[in-house]
Amino acid sequence: MIQKALGSDHLAGWLFVLPAVILIGVFGILPIGWALLLSFQQNDLLATPTWVGLDNYRTLVHDPVFRDSIRRTLVYTVLFVPLSVGGAMGVALLLRRPIRFSRFYRTSVFVPVATSTVATGIIFNWLLDPTYGLANFVLGKIGLGPYGFFQDPDQALYAIVAMTVWGWLGFDVIIYLAALQGVPEDLLEAAQLDGAGRWATFRHVVWPLLSPATLFLVVWSTINALQVFDEIYVTTRGGPLHATTVLVYYLYNQAFELFHAGYAAAVAEVLFLITLVFAVFQLWLGNRRVHYTS
Amino acid sequence: MRRSLALLAVALTVLVAGCGGGSDSSSGGKTNIVLWHGYVDVEGKALTAAAKRFNATHPKIHVTVQNYGNADYALNKVLTAIRGGSYPDIVYLYGSWAANMARTPKAVDLAPLIKADPSINWNDFWPAERQAVAVGPKIVGVPALVDNLALVYNKKLFDQAGLAYPTADWTWDDFRAAAKKLTDPSAKQFGWAYVNDASEDTVWRFDALLWQAGGDILTADQKHAAFNSPAGVKAATLLQQMATVDHSVYLDSGNGNYANLFNSGKIGMLFTGPWDLSGFPDVHYGIQILPGDVNHQTISGPDQWVMLDNGDARRNAAWTFLKWFTSTDEAMQWSLATGDLPIRASQTQTPAYPTYTARYKGIGTFVQNEQNAVKARPVLPTYNEISQAMGQAIQAILLGKAQPQQALDQAAQQVDQILAQG
Repeated sequence: MIQKALGSDHLAGWLFVLPAVILIGVFGILPIGWALLLSFQQNDLLATPTWVGLDNYRTLVHDPVFRDSIRRTLVYTVLFVPLSVGGAMGVALLLRRPIRFSRFYRTSVFVPVATSTVATGIIFNWLLDPTYGLANFVLGKIGLGPYGFFQDPDQALYAIVAMTVWGWLGFDVIIYLAALQGVPEDLLEAAQLDGAGRWATFRHVVWPLLSPATLFLVVWSTINALQVFDEIYVTTRGGPLHATTVLVYYLYNQAFELFHAGYAAAVAEVLFLITLVFAVFQLWLGNRRVHYTS
Repeated sequence: MRRSLALLAVALTVLVAGCGGGSDSSSGGKTNIVLWHGYVDVEGKALTAAAKRFNATHPKIHVTVQNYGNADYALNKVLTAIRGGSYPDIVYLYGSWAANMARTPKAVDLAPLIKADPSINWNDFWPAERQAVAVGPKIVGVPALVDNLALVYNKKLFDQAGLAYPTADWTWDDFRAAAKKLTDPSAKQFGWAYVNDASEDTVWRFDALLWQAGGDILTADQKHAAFNSPAGVKAATLLQQMATVDHSVYLDSGNGNYANLFNSGKIGMLFTGPWDLSGFPDVHYGIQILPGDVNHQTISGPDQWVMLDNGDARRNAAWTFLKWFTSTDEAMQWSLATGDLPIRASQTQTPAYPTYTARYKGIGTFVQNEQNAVKARPVLPTYNEISQAMGQAIQAILLGKAQPQQALDQAAQQVDQILAQG
């Protein structure tokens, strides 16, 4: 009996995944549970916490900065995901063609992904400096600007979008290039024989075959976009005038600058719900619309 | 985004685990203690050298100094370490965190130690330093560093503009007029620079102006905001006029570009402290006390060494080290090596003091200016929240998005709420 249990595929399977399960449990599931508990407390990480029930959530409802930070997070996500995923598909299609220096271009596109966020932030701080930055200098030559970029509350969030799309495009491009390798030559040839033009081939052959990659990228980018933080931390620090205070930045501010850990945990729970809704919706949509080969 | 966050978390965990005091604190009759700091370059070397001197002369104690990175974020790291149960014995923290530290039971209250031990000569520390570490009856730290804001100006730009150098009785009007004259949009040259990231860096420069106009941050009972008084509005209006009418102010987004720009001769004047001077090797600069309105007050930013409790033996060892390290002789050695201001009044009486003022040109102005540091920021656990509300208001005024009275009133309302909640 015991021998049978030990020898079963079931147990062996669990043993194989055990290290991962422990790691995810300790560093993933456990903190999630602890954060939930924290969100019902008033806790400054110093003094003994007090249990306040749903008070943190009640305060959240009436917190204008929190409401605005949700709106900004959504605006950021709605801009970042299509721009980065769509842009990457375009770049990947261009880079797939057999052109000179294509390896060089592929490397160039990926370099920003490998560059540390801090370095990127410093570079953009200088590039986008309203007075001394290269961006305003170049734009000035063609009669535009000057713009405030990171220092203008009406532009800062869009400047962050531009910077992060630049920073993450390369990753999406690599995924698409890999997916494009999986498009069988014979299908493309067959389409050509049937008289399909370039657009029709893309629309009816390539696009459907890329859809698993697209689904993955959209879900992954959305989750990332909802949690954008580093790029903001190293450039605008949530400002000016809260213009780039997205959810995670607000959470950071509350937990680690003002030491409202319980309140910040409540913000985290809301973020968790938003992310969950997005992910489930996208996967549901994906199941209906994604085409897998074979 | 997420990937790097995870990496950061791992790195921090490793760092914190690696930095933790370690459990075997005494071996062979020796007590090992750990000190955390954020000093780099000259100051980092001076600290390592001081620890070496201490270890050589105190066979029963061994001090290990460890760098925790940027001191701006040290409070997070220290709290994380305390949470994790493995923390150093001495840690360098900003004065504005005294009230936060007073709340953690692990921070040693130094008041009884100071009372029982006259050898520390407590009243020899500057008043602003002593105010900053006192939280109610508790004393949270020993003064580590003191500085204040003065007017640092580029002599060449003043000469080019045909302006006389700032004097000790300069008024706000003199200052504003000079800034305007030093501004040249075609050369991308500004008269003044202001850190406009809504952080404490934005707020404390405003505090100096507020005090100069005769105002206060909070009421005397610390129950209500007071910075929206006529004095506060006057100070905020100066900022508004210079930033949005004269356009004579370079607004720094908080990444410290202003220091590079001053060193490149693009900025005429700064409100800054001694810590920035080493960043200006390329300009011939002068130092003067701040321009004034009703008075010429400045703001002092005292930092502190906080002791954390790792048991009697280590606590005593840490106290011995701090007393030694902040004694007149050691403090003077430190000032000589780093250029940092004297933390004790008695340092100015030592034979080495003239060497110090000769070596660091203009530093005497900062030392004298310490007398203009009359008021201190409120020492409250909610200070970060108060500062944040004020920072947002000042930023809105500088960006021309709000009028001084309206922005300050709104911030005052928030601060009243914060104070009411305690």
